[in-house]
Amino acid sequence: MDKTDKRSVLHMLDPMPHVSPFDINMAVDGGFDLVFPFNNVQLDQVTPLVQDAIFSRGPSGVKRTGIFIGGRDIGMALNMLETAQKAMVPPFEVSVLADPSGAFTTAAALVACVERQLKSKHALSLSGLNTVVFGGTGPVGIATGVIASLAGADVTIVDPFNIDNALAKANEYNQRCESNLIGTYASSDADKARLISHADIVFCTAKAGVQVLSSDVLKDATKLKVAGDVNAVPPLGIEGIKRTHDGEPMVHAINSHGAVGIGSLAIGDIKYKLQNALLVSMLNTENPVFLEFRAAFKLARDLV
Amino acid sequence: MEKPYILHMFTPEKNLSPFDVNMALDAGWTSAIPYVGVQADEIQALVQDTIFSRSPSGLKRTGIFIGGRDAKSSIEMLRSACKSMVPPFEVSAFADPSGAFTTAAAMVAAVERELETKFHTNLEGKVVLALGGTGPVGQIAATLAAQAGAKVTIIGRQIEKAKAIAGLCNTEFGDGQISIEGDADANKGLLMEEADVVFATAAAGIQVLSSELVASAPLLKVAADVNAVPPSGIAGLDAHHRGNPIAGSLHGAVGVGALAIGNIKYKTQSALLKKMKESNQPVYLSFEDAFEIARGFAQNN
Repeated sequence: MDKTDKRSVLHMLDPMPHVSPFDINMAVDGGFDLVFPFNNVQLDQVTPLVQDAIFSRGPSGVKRTGIFIGGRDIGMALNMLETAQKAMVPPFEVSVLADPSGAFTTAAALVACVERQLKSKHALSLSGLNTVVFGGTGPVGIATGVIASLAGADVTIVDPFNIDNALAKANEYNQRCESNLIGTYASSDADKARLISHADIVFCTAKAGVQVLSSDVLKDATKLKVAGDVNAVPPLGIEGIKRTHDGEPMVHAINSHGAVGIGSLAIGDIKYKLQNALLVSMLNTENPVFLEFRAAFKLARDLV
Repeated sequence: MEKPYILHMFTPEKNLSPFDVNMALDAGWTSAIPYVGVQADEIQALVQDTIFSRSPSGLKRTGIFIGGRDAKSSIEMLRSACKSMVPPFEVSAFADPSGAFTTAAAMVAAVERELETKFHTNLEGKVVLALGGTGPVGQIAATLAAQAGAKVTIIGRQIEKAKAIAGLCNTEFGDGQISIEGDADANKGLLMEEADVVFATAAAGIQVLSSELVASAPLLKVAADVNAVPPSGIAGLDAHHRGNPIAGSLHGAVGVGALAIGNIKYKTQSALLKKMKESNQPVYLSFEDAFEIARGFAQNN
């Protein structure tokens, strides 16, 4: 067998007890011939695992080898990605993709979909826009906030109960990612109304099956332009935005002229294509790539 | 390009069985992915993660296998997996803990064939003893025989355990429609006087039926033994037996040995793994499905 005919291998590292079957399906469909789950991986095991992965296939074989980092904690995943990158010994190096809980690809797809509607319906970019992320302290919410902030938006991440958690998360990711997140909380409709009254953009990344913004609260939005909701389980996160919406008017945002909504299926479609494209890119690249939310967002902008 | 076949293999144990992994790959699954140490309460999340990253056409090429060692917990996991589907996002699933469902199905089907070909009868009304029957193969073999109309007794070393397992089979596996009994190994002599059929499903290397007991069983027609490791679980029965007379039986009983059962078991497991791939609608395969398929192979075997 010719060296270039080596089968492609994806080593899937996860701090949790199981690698996600979702990601395994995606990896196989992305063209990896063989996928190997590594469960309960600790940060200090990443260097030896990576170095074990790079030294047995030769420089041509490493191009057919990749590492995926999953889990549920995006800070842990970023640490693992950084550790993996440092563990490479050129020319023995492989591509690495981090996408814990699908948060990076979901967030990148969400922001890119919103950005597209902002441009087409309002001729605006994210730059300087007042942006609120509900469910903003979960993995998808943080990644959404960071991506939007790096794209120039003024972003507030909202915890449903806990101000300390919101402040700590904003601080942690601002230091780590050079974003400018503000943390706050909103436990009542009055809190939410106050937050959205001056919001240009609303992202809803809260728990599945929880309505965050009712039609009543949406009346308080006076300058809302685009809202996106990743929740696919009824009741949906923002009343009036259906799962299939992709730029349809928000019927309950009666005081925001021209506000449009994006639902979970429109976002999910881009997320799916994006995760697939990132996995495929690991096999097609000449030089190893290290992919996280930044690369995901760049590619998501091309996809929308 | 058609999507590859992916089989997600769940087990509550520390490791998957390499036997099952080989079987899955040989049945044409492109990828066999292990999930070990799976808890019952993780099934829903794992199943829903499985079904939402492929389109309905891709999901026809996706499956779930449930292994482990315990029949009851595998059946519960299979039920839980079935309930977790969100049509049209759904995939087939197949439970076969320790290969027990396919092994038991193969054994009962082979015994049924011998009853039919050698004695022109069937399991209906027959007295069946499941010796060493408290393990998963014994439990399922007892259940299948009882569902086919036999009067089944599970025999174990401890009578309390044998009775408890019989109760488990009746309620959990037989939906309250069967009434298997439990009895102690010490009463075997008496019970053998009535037995038409014997299943030996004890641990490998343990003889559960001596030559004296074989000789003293006036009604014994068919004895089957899943043990392939000498000594044979039933005196006079050879692993290669496929309806051969049992040496020492004074009344013409025939034997079915581990290799004959294994041959049907192998074909049955492979057929069920292929059925998941080929079915147009999702299928949820348990011991009843194994038995239906094993009956076909037993006839032609």
